[in-house]
Amino acid sequence: MLVLFSGGSVTIMKTLFYLMLTLYAFAAAVSLILYSRHRAGNILANILSMAASLGGIAFSLSFLLGPAVSLPLLAWKGYVPYITVSLGLDSLSAFFILCLTLLSFCVSLYSLGYLTHYYNKRPVGLFNCLYNLFLISMALVFTSRNIISFLLFWELMSLVSYALVVFEAEQPENSRAGLIYLIMTHAGTAFLIVAFMLIYTFTGSLEIAPAGDAITPPLKNLIFFLLLIGFGTKAGVIPLHVWLPYAHPTAPSNISALMSGIMIKSAVYGLILFLFGVLGVSTAWWGMTILVSGCVSTVLGIAYALMENNYKRLLAYSSIENIGIIMMGLGISVAAFAGGHETLAGLAFTASLFHLINHTLFKGALFLGAGSLHYATHTKDIEHLGGLLKKMPYTGLLFILASLSISAIPPFNGFISEWLTYQSLFSCILESATELKLLAMLAIAALAMAGALAAYCFVKLIGIAFLGLPRCDCAKKVREVPTGMLAGMGLLTSLCLIFGLFPRLVINPLDKVVREILNVSILSGLQGEHVFVHHTLETHGSGISPAYALLLGLFLVLAVFAAVKTAGAKSSKRIYGTWDCGFGKLNARLQYTATGFSKPIRIVLRGLYRPTRQLQVEPGPSPYYHKSMKYIVSTQSIFEKYFYGPLTGAVTNLSRKLRLVVQTGSVHIYLVYIFVTMVVLLVYNRAN
Amino acid sequence: MNTVLYILIQLGVFVLLAPLVNGVIKKVKAFSQKRKGPPLAQLYYDLSKLLKKDCVISDTASWVFTAAPYIFLVTTLLAALFVPVTVFLQPFSFQGDIILAIYILALGRFFMTLAGLDTGSTFGGMGSSREMMIASLMEPALLVAVLTLGLHSGSTSVFAIMHKGMEGVPYLFHPANILLFAAILIILLAETARIPVDDPATHLELTMVHEAMLLEYSGRHLALIELAASVKQLFFITVLANLFLPLEVFIHTDIHTIALILGLGLYFLKVMALTLLVALVELYTVKLRFFSVPNLAAASFALAFLGFIQYFVVGR
Repeated sequence: MLVLFSGGSVTIMKTLFYLMLTLYAFAAAVSLILYSRHRAGNILANILSMAASLGGIAFSLSFLLGPAVSLPLLAWKGYVPYITVSLGLDSLSAFFILCLTLLSFCVSLYSLGYLTHYYNKRPVGLFNCLYNLFLISMALVFTSRNIISFLLFWELMSLVSYALVVFEAEQPENSRAGLIYLIMTHAGTAFLIVAFMLIYTFTGSLEIAPAGDAITPPLKNLIFFLLLIGFGTKAGVIPLHVWLPYAHPTAPSNISALMSGIMIKSAVYGLILFLFGVLGVSTAWWGMTILVSGCVSTVLGIAYALMENNYKRLLAYSSIENIGIIMMGLGISVAAFAGGHETLAGLAFTASLFHLINHTLFKGALFLGAGSLHYATHTKDIEHLGGLLKKMPYTGLLFILASLSISAIPPFNGFISEWLTYQSLFSCILESATELKLLAMLAIAALAMAGALAAYCFVKLIGIAFLGLPRCDCAKKVREVPTGMLAGMGLLTSLCLIFGLFPRLVINPLDKVVREILNVSILSGLQGEHVFVHHTLETHGSGISPAYALLLGLFLVLAVFAAVKTAGAKSSKRIYGTWDCGFGKLNARLQYTATGFSKPIRIVLRGLYRPTRQLQVEPGPSPYYHKSMKYIVSTQSIFEKYFYGPLTGAVTNLSRKLRLVVQTGSVHIYLVYIFVTMVVLLVYNRAN
Repeated sequence: MNTVLYILIQLGVFVLLAPLVNGVIKKVKAFSQKRKGPPLAQLYYDLSKLLKKDCVISDTASWVFTAAPYIFLVTTLLAALFVPVTVFLQPFSFQGDIILAIYILALGRFFMTLAGLDTGSTFGGMGSSREMMIASLMEPALLVAVLTLGLHSGSTSVFAIMHKGMEGVPYLFHPANILLFAAILIILLAETARIPVDDPATHLELTMVHEAMLLEYSGRHLALIELAASVKQLFFITVLANLFLPLEVFIHTDIHTIALILGLGLYFLKVMALTLLVALVELYTVKLRFFSVPNLAAASFALAFLGFIQYFVVGR
């Protein structure tokens, strides 16, 4: 199998790429053709997209494991000047296409079962067409080689994802969520367009190639900020993250999985591509800015996630946290590369990209799990759930494993990428300049806190949703979800476990990416042994071997079990009710609620959350016995209240005033406008 | 073969010594209250009694409830394998790293907090939510402290830190290390549910943190959890003992076995001294109101960060 993957010839890879695109397009076409036959159309479209994803996995893996450096794929020059579509593959693109296709294979497998609850209710054919178009647009974003095609496919990706987000648009809050998403993504794209126009003006070329000296340093700084804001909006970096918690819960769960899993990563791809590939990294404070924005996103993202009772919003905020971790690694890499510490840059870059693929896998699994929960219970509120582990044992188990991965707990992959991030921050303190050392230690503290808060958040999610007693009728009569859905989620979770135990499986292909972008090979700094035996990761003489630790752990479990069985041979197990202090059987309302579970942090971080509390009491016959009491606690997002709220208010006011003054509705005034413009243009162009 | 010997010695020392630490703390507290207190070996008797008793399991509970004690004990033992009891065990080296040890403890805590929620009782949920809050607030301080120690030796491996400590001035007298020692001492008190964070002897469920999570456990499961909690306590004491007090530098002998035995004896003395310190801290402080614990966590973080700044400015 390794022989098949390494040294794949160029024609095979090109064929696989075109095959992948064609199969996705074919799947989209098939779902439109079989528009009225929901079941057949869904199954056929998803099988085709699974096949396409397999092709994509094959071709990206063979590129990453083979010797080829770059592979030009398609150059199409249309009749319109400047519009050329140029596609090509290099290691970074191959890595991102690998992430995309791994996720899309599992999501398509999941969709076979998930879309059954849309049959005969919503246009499933349209959904699958848009879904495949979304996948095609993302694949093309990753392989664009010039600015025009990048922008074209970026916009296509945003528009198709908007259409998918508002798929269930009858509820007004859904269309509002879609609108917020659309506005934010276009605002970000506007910044990108300005940055690209600046690049084009000064380099004169639309190719994504190093600009060299054509762009002066002050201009480079400006373009850096524009790119950071533009890509940061798409990635969900705080404070540009406001659309994420609206868009992800609204979209159907398989789309949320894709959006969180790979669409926000396309922003990271763009940032890496333009920073390293076009602008050239030579300023350390760029890295520090990215690091600071990463730290802020990490801590604030998970802090907001803790407060959420809508499990999809919780997962959306958790994506913001993980993007923060990816940005931290990227920031260290940029700062180190600018300072000349190349091995450190390589290590941090590896940590960042490893976390990227890890997040794709475990967040994909979690959103698919959230979709299974919604499929089974039809509610998005954790406070209505409970006791689901006994009725949906496999979904529960997979959810627990995926939550362990995201909380960076060994032996799963989340721990490996966080360990690598810690090691790169640690090396940063050992090696680099003073300001960066202090910042790196603060980043370590931020990462530690975020990791512990993430564990808190997912213990809340699993504990309230899956354990205990059902809090509502919708959680009482549930059944396990169809096997296809379990298989999709199970595949992603097992990849999490495999990558956690054998991290070299990811690091070896990543090394090619790092070598290409940073010209340094990390394998020399990360020594270790053979891939499948005694699998270790070592840096600075401190090594970890998760596989070894797991084997030892399993052995210890057996030893403890044996010891306990021999010592307590005559003891037995009795099943009885939970201890109720003698007051009578406990019911579901006596359990802890999700709001109550996260209350300690709400109180500790009240400066961030600004919680408001309302107590509504209906008095009864006596002051000691009320008829009913209602307690409402809510947290506000300070970004929406203090930044976006005033901003949108100001823009709306301005446009209202302008409409009264400028757009009067009178044809005469409009004719005057045309006349004045013509006169001005004639006067302006008289010299030519 | 060497690794197997290492694992056996580590596990043996931890499992056999951990209950004694609990016994010493209880005895010291009793003496200070003019009582005789329970025998030193009380926890051993408790564990052997609990292993033989029946266990009662709630009908609301799932497999998480029965699996959690095993996972908690095994993760604590695994983490204990990463802090060698004496620096002379190095020839039997083990791929270990302090960050891995801390996160393996996090795995145990994850399952214990889930188990608290599993039975559907209010006390379990309360214990779990408080435990997670304390853990999230103490985690930054712990990592900053531990990584600052690692900066001295240039690596996050515990062996490297222990070795570096053996060179030069006795480690504890370095100002940065006094600050880090204080920070990790506070974290020890928090993680092992000691006063001032949580009272291990309280009977009031509303003031419990750790004990509230275990309220539904009985029989052999409770034995496993009690052992795991005491091993976790010994883990933090060993971190303090071996990373800050590398007194093995006073052992000058060429015969390895004798060095090992002397090293183990020295370790025992260090652990007893630190146990006495923990007991004295428990005696002279009161249990804090739960929402004052973040202040304590902030103090611990400030100490750890000051230790880092101290290292950073003055160097080593």
